[in-house]
Amino acid sequence: MSTSIPQPDVKVATAPRLLSLDTWAVLLALAAALLVRFGVLKTVSW
Amino acid sequence: MATQASPSSSTFTAPQTQTASLPNRILALIPGILLLAAVGYAGKFIEQFIARYGKAHHLTLPNIEYVLWAILIGLVISNTVGVPALFRAGVATYEFWLKAGIVLLGARFLLGDVSRLGGLSLVLVIIEIALALTFMTFLGRAFGLKPKLTTLLAVGSSICGVSAIIATQGAIEADEEDSSYAIAAILALGAISLFLFPLIGHGLHLSDHAYGLWAGLAVDNTAEATAAGALYSDAAGKVAVIAKTCRNATIGFVVLAYAIYWASKGQAAGVQNKAAFLWKKFPKFVLGFLLISTLATVGFFTKPQLATLGNLSRWAFLLTFAGVGLRTNLRELGKQGAKPFIVGAVGEVAIALITLGLVFGADHWFHL
Repeated sequence: MSTSIPQPDVKVATAPRLLSLDTWAVLLALAAALLVRFGVLKTVSW
Repeated sequence: MATQASPSSSTFTAPQTQTASLPNRILALIPGILLLAAVGYAGKFIEQFIARYGKAHHLTLPNIEYVLWAILIGLVISNTVGVPALFRAGVATYEFWLKAGIVLLGARFLLGDVSRLGGLSLVLVIIEIALALTFMTFLGRAFGLKPKLTTLLAVGSSICGVSAIIATQGAIEADEEDSSYAIAAILALGAISLFLFPLIGHGLHLSDHAYGLWAGLAVDNTAEATAAGALYSDAAGKVAVIAKTCRNATIGFVVLAYAIYWASKGQAAGVQNKAAFLWKKFPKFVLGFLLISTLATVGFFTKPQLATLGNLSRWAFLLTFAGVGLRTNLRELGKQGAKPFIVGAVGEVAIALITLGLVFGADHWFHL
């Protein structure tokens, strides 16, 4: 007779976001603005 | 980012084997982002090619903005060969680029303009939201839609499309099926408005300001509102972003009101901390936009630097517009059923007319 061990559900773990997508977008934009302000990113043409 | 298993949960999580690491997740985005860039740049190339060809051959060709080309190329890809799985994660970042682009666009506005345009927009937005919510609720009842689906459609069409629907779905504990119906209706109508709004605007000879305000007030999804504005003119695009941002800023208040309403009916969990709820739902890119605009106003950036930031914003929008086309699958949208679409369409036409009336009124009183 085999002993059946209840198997826990295995779900794909979704990592909790430290910051929202919004906040990441703001941080990226601010970082780009600072790079421009302090001359690291000199010109971006269109 | 760390993955944690809740100790109180009976669910076993296996982060080592099933959660991709951060570098892998970033790598997985690259093909899609490159596709966004390729489609967007192709749109820009076609616009410039037509202009150069016309000039070289002394022809007067219509100036069709890269925005429309990028959306059309994206639409053709997604509705013919489809977007392969490899690219989908990266294509989904188009909203991220939209928000980064809006923050950077703050450099092209002085705070005085933001408060003048934003103040006027906010007044119109409040009127628009009140009328739109009332009308959509009435329409949903008249068509016999489920009450929570009606709420989702009302919020989606009055505030900010997909983000508002997703935020409300969680707060009022609506079915995922209802939310996908509402999202499909809002996206399908957004795609249609992209092509109709500029035609109507030109037909009515609306000024850039008036048209931008109208697009920002009436087109639901932020990406489509930005694109509909930019399709008219650069100036209209900027005004559309301001008006739409004002609409987005109200999302927390409306979602909170609906959460309290459904909780009072015993069909959703109550909201314990209202301030925390509002902060969680508040779109943070609005604050980023205001911060950059403040920095531009106090002279933190030189004039060439402001131009560079404006161009960076345009590149971010280029990726967004490509994404608008690439994620719109007309066949999938068509599968969602006619009723929510009809309610959405009737509601959208009414909202477009109401907001057009508001814009004409504002133009008359405030000379936009």
